[in-house]
Amino acid sequence: MSNPEDEYGDSTLAAEYVLRLLNPSEHASFEERLKDDPQLRRLVHDWEAHFAPIADEVAPIAPPPRVKQSVNAALHGEAKPSRSWSWGWFTGFGSLAVAAVTAFLVFAPILNPPDLTPSFQAELAAPDGSLVVTAGVIPATHEIVLDRVVGAAPQGRVLELWLIAEGASAPVSLGLLAAEGTTRIVVPDDIAPGVRTGTIALSDEPPGGSPTRAPTGTILATGTFVDI
Amino acid sequence: MTTPADIEAMIAQVALRDRSAFSALYNATSAKLFGVCLRVLNNRAEAEEVLQEVYIRIWHKADSYTVTGHSPMTWLITVARNLSIDRLRKRKTKTKPIDEAAELADDRPGPEAEAIASSERAQIEACMTELDPRHAEAVKRVYLEGETYNGLAEAQNVPLNTMRTWLRRSLLKLRECLTR
Repeated sequence: MSNPEDEYGDSTLAAEYVLRLLNPSEHASFEERLKDDPQLRRLVHDWEAHFAPIADEVAPIAPPPRVKQSVNAALHGEAKPSRSWSWGWFTGFGSLAVAAVTAFLVFAPILNPPDLTPSFQAELAAPDGSLVVTAGVIPATHEIVLDRVVGAAPQGRVLELWLIAEGASAPVSLGLLAAEGTTRIVVPDDIAPGVRTGTIALSDEPPGGSPTRAPTGTILATGTFVDI
Repeated sequence: MTTPADIEAMIAQVALRDRSAFSALYNATSAKLFGVCLRVLNNRAEAEEVLQEVYIRIWHKADSYTVTGHSPMTWLITVARNLSIDRLRKRKTKTKPIDEAAELADDRPGPEAEAIASSERAQIEACMTELDPRHAEAVKRVYLEGETYNGLAEAQNVPLNTMRTWLRRSLLKLRECLTR
């Protein structure tokens, strides 16, 4: 112990620091010492590891989706989803978009709130029929809505949805399918224009999804969208 | 269930600025960390704000994770707990927060990440039982609720210095047990 005059020693001081029990001036001078004392830092890390299991008794509580959206907005400048998106966003600037804008202008006074029915749909099916998932796109909310019709992820695995945009060299992850029920995936702005004409695919991945940017498991099913 | 090795791999990818790994890490761990923030802050709006800070910190500090030598959940819980305590200490007035625990208990947890390695847990649990139960309870409240020496002294109706001496002796004992 480097403070023999202190009967409790640095270890106890480090524990008090980790627990945030020191008063502001003690806390500040401890942090000052930490900067160039690796041994003291080691004591802090030891106590952090000792105390962390106390949090085991804390039950997990799912945070609302807005927290993740805010984190992404803060870190990557991704816009938070808005409710005023239109067709053109998904279809690029083709004739469809023109038709959509026309339709929007004609029907805008009536279409309030926005139309939440899917505008195009895809069926993702495994060649042997063991897995069938339907996907519908709702342009108004930038969502892909997925329902499992047949089959599920292999035991201990999850299903991850990918988009291979037309002409793109690599798939982009769109998100994970829930183990049960309907999954709604909000498609980021930069990816959305490629959805209508691209191929979507499902791969099986470890829990939490592919640890890399690319699918790591088997591609189980693919599909493309058609207008409804 | 996501294993510690999965989470470790995700953190390593996040250090390389991999957004999809970051998203996967969030999905696997945010429910646990939100639980920790809520336990400390006992206020939903504040816990949401702090959880944001937590993941922003994780994104920026993922590369320094290995230096700590922690298991992945230890690191994540420590970040969440420390930022929550910081927020607690910044509250200007000690308003009595509404107890939301009962309401929150019904919330469905998200995908649950595997918690701390069982050997670490068994060790601290065993050593805590060697303490005076009141002191063990005090350590727990300090860790999970951000209780202070002042608050503990008040609750146990003893002078501040007495409380501090008790707790420091308990920490010494704990250390002695943990290194045994």
